[in-house]
Amino acid sequence: MYGTPRLSRLAPLLALILLGFVLPLLLPQYFLFIGNLLMMYAVLAIGLDLLLGWAGQFAFAHIAFFGVGAYATVLLQTRLGLPFVAAMPLSAALAGLVGMLIAIPAARLRAVYLALATFAFAEGAQWVFNAWDGVTGGADGLRIKAPELFGYAMGTDPRAFPFMAVVLAFVIAGTMYLTSSRLGRAFCAIRDSEHAAAASGIDVRRTKILVFAISAAYAGIAGGLFTTFQSFMNPDSFGFTQIVLVLSMVVIGGMGTLPGALLGAVILGLLPELMRTTMHSLLIWQELVYGLILILAMMYMPRGLWGTFVRRRAGA
Amino acid sequence: MNQAAAPGRPKQGTAPSGGNTGHAVTSAGAIFSLRDVNVRFGGLMALQNFSMDVQQGSIHALIGPNGAGKSTVFNCVSRFYTPTSGEILFDGHALQKLRPHAIAGLGIARTFQNIELCRSLTVIENVLIGMAPRIASYFPFGPGRGRSAAEKNAIDEAESLLTRLGLISLRDVPAEELDFGAQKKLDLARALASRPRLLLLDEPAAGLRTQEIAALDALLVDLARTQGLTIVLVEHVMQLVMGVADRITVLSFGQKIAEGTPAQVRCDARVIEAYLGRDENA
Repeated sequence: MYGTPRLSRLAPLLALILLGFVLPLLLPQYFLFIGNLLMMYAVLAIGLDLLLGWAGQFAFAHIAFFGVGAYATVLLQTRLGLPFVAAMPLSAALAGLVGMLIAIPAARLRAVYLALATFAFAEGAQWVFNAWDGVTGGADGLRIKAPELFGYAMGTDPRAFPFMAVVLAFVIAGTMYLTSSRLGRAFCAIRDSEHAAAASGIDVRRTKILVFAISAAYAGIAGGLFTTFQSFMNPDSFGFTQIVLVLSMVVIGGMGTLPGALLGAVILGLLPELMRTTMHSLLIWQELVYGLILILAMMYMPRGLWGTFVRRRAGA
Repeated sequence: MNQAAAPGRPKQGTAPSGGNTGHAVTSAGAIFSLRDVNVRFGGLMALQNFSMDVQQGSIHALIGPNGAGKSTVFNCVSRFYTPTSGEILFDGHALQKLRPHAIAGLGIARTFQNIELCRSLTVIENVLIGMAPRIASYFPFGPGRGRSAAEKNAIDEAESLLTRLGLISLRDVPAEELDFGAQKKLDLARALASRPRLLLLDEPAAGLRTQEIAALDALLVDLARTQGLTIVLVEHVMQLVMGVADRITVLSFGQKIAEGTPAQVRCDARVIEAYLGRDENA
């Protein structure tokens, strides 16, 4: 479990990258769109899980950082003329920086106060996306110019798919490295007992600020990914529904576990598409369905799908 | 719970083997001192002009009835509470000016009355968390090979500590699945993992069986006598206190009411009164 992740654990990631290059040749466009969506949600969910599941910080600002990453990736290209290869990492760093600035005051808050303060920030960010017409295009949104990676134009689902797979593979590898490190242990320590952590010499405040920044940077990366296969965005892309969706992914998949976050992203990412295509009349009940699933999962499966599965297997 | 006359081991005198003159209540040779510490919570004086000197390498017990302020002393040292006034000194450092994590960096470790463990982490992971203050940086990015070597050394050391405390067979068990006695031991193992110079133990014997207390007794004596560790012990189990303590400080309602060797404290009228109440017929 410790040290650098073993090579055998990296094999699925190589398979992921391989699939990223092969599947666009085999699957129809709609399936590739679903794949892209799921991969983007996976990055979002893994990032939120670091904060929520690993470090135990119940914060709601994740979607705001996702929005910052998406808007910044587009605007750095259109307004400053930066290439995509620079704009996307810079946007992730910017999201991380904003996360850090939020964390400096928010790290003093706990539980429901932290949830409320970060929720207020997320709503505030959405208001900015709406109101800052000249930059974000306001409620009318922005057209996303197809980003180019060293001359390779993306902007369509088959073109973006390999890039998404490569980024997700690196995000997963980085998360495996991070969570098996001392810093990952420090996250768990502040989640389980701030007193034990502090008495053991862990700087609780610094650790909280770090995990907020890292988690926000993940959301920023997801924002950059959003611009590679979507052609349009507006403030609704970063609204309350999205917060509930990503939160549900983490809780239902299994908090504090990487497979759990991935599982949650796949299941809950598919759900809206399923409802849209096969149960169209149920679509208006979408939010109610999420809420219901979330409540049931918290009551009967507090460890999430993955945690319950691991328990069963260990108990057998 | 309070056995006033517990069968004590033969004592080797007040002063620890360092050659200090332990009898005088001065700060000479004291590595850890509290000076006129006051702690007020609203209208409640949790500690009132409390002073205490702990000699290097000694075992110093802090006893008193429930609510006397014993854990408050520890929580001030850990910087979870800030004294209203007064000074807490360790090896020349004024602790009340530091942030909580810096306390561990000075070589002060503690256990908790209500056991504070990282419940979802395994036994060995908890011990590794205890090593945090000795590890220069816990930021994970850096040369992979060097990091792995440091991590491997840390794991080796954690394993030998677990072997010493009889926890090695539980190495990969999540802390929340341990029984009470094992959790107590793990709390102690986490504290010892930092290789402290001062160890604060908050009721380490509470809930332990008689043989477990005997083993704890032997361990504490070994840590203090052969490894020079300074130990401050808050405890209700008099068998342990009278057996291991070089000096005892007695607190009642936030004030120091007695201090001395176990023999002196055991006969002190104010101590007996605080524990048993006044004898109305006398």
